[in-house]
Amino acid sequence: MAQNDDPAGTVSRRDFIKTVGATSVAAGVLAPAAPVTAQGPAALGPGPVPVNLTINGRARTLQIEPRVTLLDAVRDHANLTGNKRVCDRGTCGACTMIVDGRTVYSCSTLAIDVQGSRIRTVDGLANGDDLHPVQEAFCAADGMMCGFCTPGFVMATVALLEKYPKPTIAQARRELDGNVCRCGTFNRVFEAALSAGGVNRG
Amino acid sequence: MQQPTPQPTPQPTENATKYAWTVPPDRTRVIGTSVPRVDGPDKVSGRAKYTYDIARPGMLHARAVRSPHPHARIVSIDFSAAKAAPGVRGVLTWKDPGTEVMYQGDVVAAVAADTEPQARDAARLVRVEYEVLPFFSSEAAAMQPDAPVVFPNGNTQAGQTQETGDLAAGFAAAAHTLEATYSTHVITHVCLESHCSVCEWNGDQLTAWVSTQGVHASKQQIAGALKIDQANVRVICQYMGGGFGSKVTADAPIIIPARMSKDLGAPVKMVLDRKEEHLDSGNRPSAFARVRAGVSADGMLTAFDGVTWGTGGAGQGANFPLPYIYQFPNRRRAHTNVYINTGLQRPMRAPGHPQGCFVTEMLLDELADLVGLDPLELRLKNLPPTAPDAMWAEYYRMGAKQFGWDRRHPTGDRNPGPIKTGMGVSANQWGGGGRAGAAHVRIQPDGSVLVQCGSQDLGTGTRTLLPVIAGETLGAPLDAIRAEIGDSNLPFAGVSGGSTATPGIAPAIRIASGRARDALFARVASALDAAPEELAAGDGRIFVKAAPERSLAWRAACKLLGQEPITADGQWEPGFSSVNTSGVQFAEVTVDTETGIVKVTRILAIQDCGLVLDRLLAESQVYGGVIGSLNFALFEDRTLDPRTGVMLNPNMEHYLLAGMTDVPQIDVVLMDMPERGVIGIGEPPTVSTASAIANAVRNALGVPIRSLPLHPHRVLAAIDAHTNSGGGPA
Repeated sequence: MAQNDDPAGTVSRRDFIKTVGATSVAAGVLAPAAPVTAQGPAALGPGPVPVNLTINGRARTLQIEPRVTLLDAVRDHANLTGNKRVCDRGTCGACTMIVDGRTVYSCSTLAIDVQGSRIRTVDGLANGDDLHPVQEAFCAADGMMCGFCTPGFVMATVALLEKYPKPTIAQARRELDGNVCRCGTFNRVFEAALSAGGVNRG
Repeated sequence: MQQPTPQPTPQPTENATKYAWTVPPDRTRVIGTSVPRVDGPDKVSGRAKYTYDIARPGMLHARAVRSPHPHARIVSIDFSAAKAAPGVRGVLTWKDPGTEVMYQGDVVAAVAADTEPQARDAARLVRVEYEVLPFFSSEAAAMQPDAPVVFPNGNTQAGQTQETGDLAAGFAAAAHTLEATYSTHVITHVCLESHCSVCEWNGDQLTAWVSTQGVHASKQQIAGALKIDQANVRVICQYMGGGFGSKVTADAPIIIPARMSKDLGAPVKMVLDRKEEHLDSGNRPSAFARVRAGVSADGMLTAFDGVTWGTGGAGQGANFPLPYIYQFPNRRRAHTNVYINTGLQRPMRAPGHPQGCFVTEMLLDELADLVGLDPLELRLKNLPPTAPDAMWAEYYRMGAKQFGWDRRHPTGDRNPGPIKTGMGVSANQWGGGGRAGAAHVRIQPDGSVLVQCGSQDLGTGTRTLLPVIAGETLGAPLDAIRAEIGDSNLPFAGVSGGSTATPGIAPAIRIASGRARDALFARVASALDAAPEELAAGDGRIFVKAAPERSLAWRAACKLLGQEPITADGQWEPGFSSVNTSGVQFAEVTVDTETGIVKVTRILAIQDCGLVLDRLLAESQVYGGVIGSLNFALFEDRTLDPRTGVMLNPNMEHYLLAGMTDVPQIDVVLMDMPERGVIGIGEPPTVSTASAIANAVRNALGVPIRSLPLHPHRVLAAIDAHTNSGGGPA
């Protein structure tokens, strides 16, 4: 599902989720993935099937059950554990990845649905020890405490700044409204997001 | 938990003089500045490995089977279908048939399988037959005189009545009396990293990666539960995704994988899902207070008579300090714990204080209106005497000026239109103070420094305090210092809870670093043609105090050590840290009287905190406390179905937490008191915000606000109730 798909520019991601709730999540994961035949979609699974994913620029073929989410595929099968499972219901944003330029809740996206897409996770953001400017801004502003929501917030901020290189306060608030932090770092996350503004490294 | 009682100040030791904190601004170089957290790059890049991220070769996954009923007797457990399911390696009975489950989510059994989904599938196949028993889903139900006996030792437990002064005389002296009932609700900790562990045996030695607030405490509890030697258990927690008081107990998510790992000869991981986390990982108890209070015509509190109760779930207490901070010379208080069939309470950030603070602060605003005094004036008249650990009066005056309290209107915004604004205030206190901690410091001949301490970092920034304190003391560059924490093989430290972690370990790190520095001075003094006591360290150099130009760069000095490193140990000693802290908060809100939606527009938090070690991290603690309390006031609420006793919102879409658009401008003022040494501030800032917000809502609406949370429908109901009762005093 697309979290940033907001043509009217008035409804925040959080408001949208609050209103529509699980319905939109279900709609997202039910999008057909298998080839459609005269008899309907061909059955896949329930056992492992090959799933081709391009994660952080690297193509991988994973043998996974069709029910495996993008988050679990990336964490448990591609061994990239930066993004976290927290609510597991498309609400908190700790699992936020960028797929074809748009943020998705990877806990509520099936891996087989994003074959052929360009998947970016927090693990691929830094270039070795050379942090992405958004990551540097989070460190400088102390935009984290326990750090468990941080990968999601970092990815949401990267997406924000790619969409609006110099965001307004309202744009930044709305685009970062789909992530929850329990330690209470919002003010400093916001400070980090604005201070990193203007940087678009792709 | 009662209000913190002043503890006797132990006599300072020789070390307290020798290694006394250098006090800003004149002499510190690192302490008190804003040092970014040292593990920031690991956290923002996803490299930080939490317990949830640990994978071991051949690791199995455990999943609990939990009671769907709030109260039932286990008749039988049939594992046959589960055992035959794909990938299943073993099963475990946690509660035997014949015993009772006391709440929804109570653990009955567990399965272990090759993968997490297989374990989840298999757990569903375990057939448990229950005999459903009577249960309570509310305090009121459990308190009915004709209620069935659900808890063998009584559905309620009354405590001793506490009485001070002469209550009758107090009420006789009152010009106004007020009777009202106040209440706060149950919330859960909602750690983003749920309770989890990975357990692996090597012979008779257990290594456990645990998401815990105490690696040493966990080690001891695990050894006790498994009846093995503590020396055979190692607990590791490098990163953890929040605890807030809920991760101080070695419970099922640790003991199940530990036992199954031993039985099955493979590492076993167990991670709770969000629903399990809500149901069975702790909560903040409810609080109810039926209060009668008196105030004199000139605004002096005269009497307080409170009957209180609350629930900490199926067999846990729910006491809270009351009255809170303000002085009622004549007072009586009787508290009763009420047991209902829900998961057990656990300490949650400042246990008891937010509840006692709410009852008292809401009462004070109502009394102020009866007298016709500004609520701040009433507070100033009734505070305990000002002392270094009781600075409320000064902070209230300072905050009123900074916040613009003089722009507050009397109760009830008279401006036309549906949007009303209001302001509120509230005070907090906390005891805290740590008394246990040890540290080890090693200076290598190449100039690198290792600082070890068996504490753990909940996100408060503990790891960063090691290089901050060692860097200040040794004069070594921060990037030369490596910090090791989060391992029970490291020197002992207590649980990170109750704002005790930093005051517990900081003195130990200071003393160990001071001893290491003195040892270094002794070995390099001759190279500077000086006596060791003539040397000082700072800014990456060792220099002669009287002639700073005679100096050695840090690494050049360490090179003189040859091959033998310097090692030094330190333990907590009095003289470096203090107990008791005070603070106040101001809140401004808007309330939409048509929708009931409350928006917080501004918060000012003034917090004293002794010696500030790292300003950036200390401020983050206060921000976090404020937002946690804002959630308590406006959003989160554990909702039970009264008919079934089942939690209706064990998730994060209906268990609401603030998001970016809900968070106001927050101004944090840290009141440095370096002469008091280190004081923890994890708890105090989260005490006050909810009551400051609630009083601001009351100020905006001019209607009584006596319970939390302030969900829109409850705000509308409060307005309706007031209108229907014909208005009158709020």
